[in-house]
Amino acid sequence: MSSALTTTLLGVTMNNPVIAASGTFGFGHEYAERFDISRLGGISGKGLTLHGSSGNDGMRVWETPAGLMNSIGLENPGVRRFIKEECPYMRAAGCAVLANLGGHSEADYIAGAELLNEADIDILELNISCPNVKAGGMAFGVLPKSTEAIVKKVKAVTKHPLLVKLSPNAENIVAVAQAAEGAGADGVSLVNSFLGLAIDVAGKKAVFENVYAGLSGPAIMPIALRMVHQVAHAVRIPVVGLGGIATVNDALSFFMAGASAIQVGTITFAQPDAMLTIIDGLERYCLEQGLLNIAEIIGIV
Amino acid sequence: MAVILENQEVGAQCHLVTLRGVTAGHAGQFVMVRIPGTLDPLLGRPITLFDVEGDVTRLLMRSVGRVTAMIKEMQALRELEVEGPYGNGFPLLDSDITLIGGGIGIAPLYLLAKEHRALYPHRRIRIYLGFKEAVILEKPYAAVADEVRVKIGGAITDDIDYSVDDIFYACGPTNMMRVIAQCAKERERKAFVSLENRMACGAGACLGCTQKTASGNKRACKDGPVFPAEEVFYE
Ligand SMILES: Cc1cc2nc3c(=O)[nH]c(=O)nc-3n(C[C@H](O)[C@H](O)[C@H](O)COP(=O)(O)OP(=O)(O)OC[C@H]3O[C@@H](n4cnc5c(N)ncnc54)[C@H](O)[C@@H]3O)c2cc1C
Ligand SMILES: Cc1cc2nc3c(=O)[nH]c(=O)nc-3n(C[C@H](O)[C@H](O)[C@H](O)COP(=O)(O)O)c2cc1C
Ligand code: FES
Repeated sequence: MSSALTTTLLGVTMNNPVIAASGTFGFGHEYAERFDISRLGGISGKGLTLHGSSGNDGMRVWETPAGLMNSIGLENPGVRRFIKEECPYMRAAGCAVLANLGGHSEADYIAGAELLNEADIDILELNISCPNVKAGGMAFGVLPKSTEAIVKKVKAVTKHPLLVKLSPNAENIVAVAQAAEGAGADGVSLVNSFLGLAIDVAGKKAVFENVYAGLSGPAIMPIALRMVHQVAHAVRIPVVGLGGIATVNDALSFFMAGASAIQVGTITFAQPDAMLTIIDGLERYCLEQGLLNIAEIIGIV
Repeated sequence: MAVILENQEVGAQCHLVTLRGVTAGHAGQFVMVRIPGTLDPLLGRPITLFDVEGDVTRLLMRSVGRVTAMIKEMQALRELEVEGPYGNGFPLLDSDITLIGGGIGIAPLYLLAKEHRALYPHRRIRIYLGFKEAVILEKPYAAVADEVRVKIGGAITDDIDYSVDDIFYACGPTNMMRVIAQCAKERERKAFVSLENRMACGAGACLGCTQKTASGNKRACKDGPVFPAEEVFYE
């Protein structure tokens, strides 16, 4: 593995700065059948809730121009089963392991974070931005005050480095990022999906039972990039950038905008090996540009 | 990348697309087919393996929307991104079998009959195909079965002789599959259904295709698309 891509994020050394985004990579098994997942920088597992959930009813995925709307509703096995059944597998995959934790209440977040202290993970990614469940965390991540409160409490109990995943649906994402930093977050990742609406015109009703659903994929890229740029200029902690990344150019844009690492989500559904193409492309870019490390371009724009 | 060798119109807005460069799979499995070189349309579309012969794969595609309409117009030598095969496929069992297809749900039954015949040459294969407007591909189906019945309009499930002791395989509209599940249950027969839930990844990662079953949530793409009928129609 080329050292030009070696990245240390929140004290964790990774092969490269490319992480599979939560909810788009399961816990690694499925795509391990398709390509060598040890080549990734890291994997953020499907979003967990304390007791698990069977997710939302009705339509769950809907394609839009260059985008995808989803209303999965955090279907997940729960923290305990994750620790027992999924975590050892992710660890054996040989790249950094991120556990993504959502919650329905402050108590759930804290109990989940405490349980995850026994898990062999590298980073706790606190999801205060899931748009698809009533109290799916997004409520916590929309305002700086509630963000500060929840991050402080989770930081006080977790022994893992804490990455706080922000919602683009926040009233002011920069203020929320600063609140997370102030409350002790070791880094922030952004963005989660954008709240959108799809209407089944023939049926004269909303496509999704929850009415609104999360938009992701290339369609959101320029907005996500702008938000990463704004946040990276406003905080001192590392920023993990994501939202619509599909090509090596997209990835480079996020680094130039200030991201220390990136996550790749929806494009994997369309092109399972997209992350490998991006990793190879980044390596080639460093070589061509004579960079000793990709970090040299972080925030140059 | 897979290359189109032939794109043949077969009626009822359906095309038989012959491809080289698709990893071989089994009856009931599907591939995710994408238009190369664009991010819009974004996702691959799940399409069942219609036939696999050496390194050549055939897909039966009905044009209903963006991607299927684009592929309909494609000439030989055009390329498609094809991922897979994905999914579990049909179990092949040493028994006489009855295959029931409705609409584009006929697609997986051709390869199923072919594979079953190759494995259990002495078993009887009966195929029932239901269409809305026009019958397609009756001859090729007849070539891989002992008996083929077709019907335009109405319920193909009314035409089945349920007294024959065999196993049912069904793919088509939910109501059709529900009837088969019910009839199989009443007669204590095995029945399998193949689902066409809307999918995003096809690989088991997004949880977009979740199917409620008697034993909890299952992913139609990864745990299916083929399920024992009583698992899906349990209520
Ligand atoms: C496991 C599986 C196997 C399939 N096998 C075949 C096959 O062999 N041949 C074939 O022609 N089709 C098959 N389908 C259906 C096929 O995937 C859809 O018709 C296709 O995705 C439509 O894509 P499009 O871009 O042309 O339409 P879009 O523009 O995406 O949509 C147009 C219309 O198609 C409907 N549609 C979209 N996705 C689905 C879906 N998954 N199921 C039903 N309706 C849908 C939409 O509601 C809309 O009305 C299969 C589906 C599944 C899940
Ligand atoms: C099907 C699906 C499921 C998702 N599930 C989660 C989740 O459980 N937790 C989370 O923090 N983000 C989840 N996300 C959001 C992604 O991790 C990512 O933030 C978002 O999709 C934007 O990136 P992308 O455009 O590269 O996909 C999900 C996204 C999709 C498409
Ligand atoms: S389509 Fe993604 S899990 Fe089935």
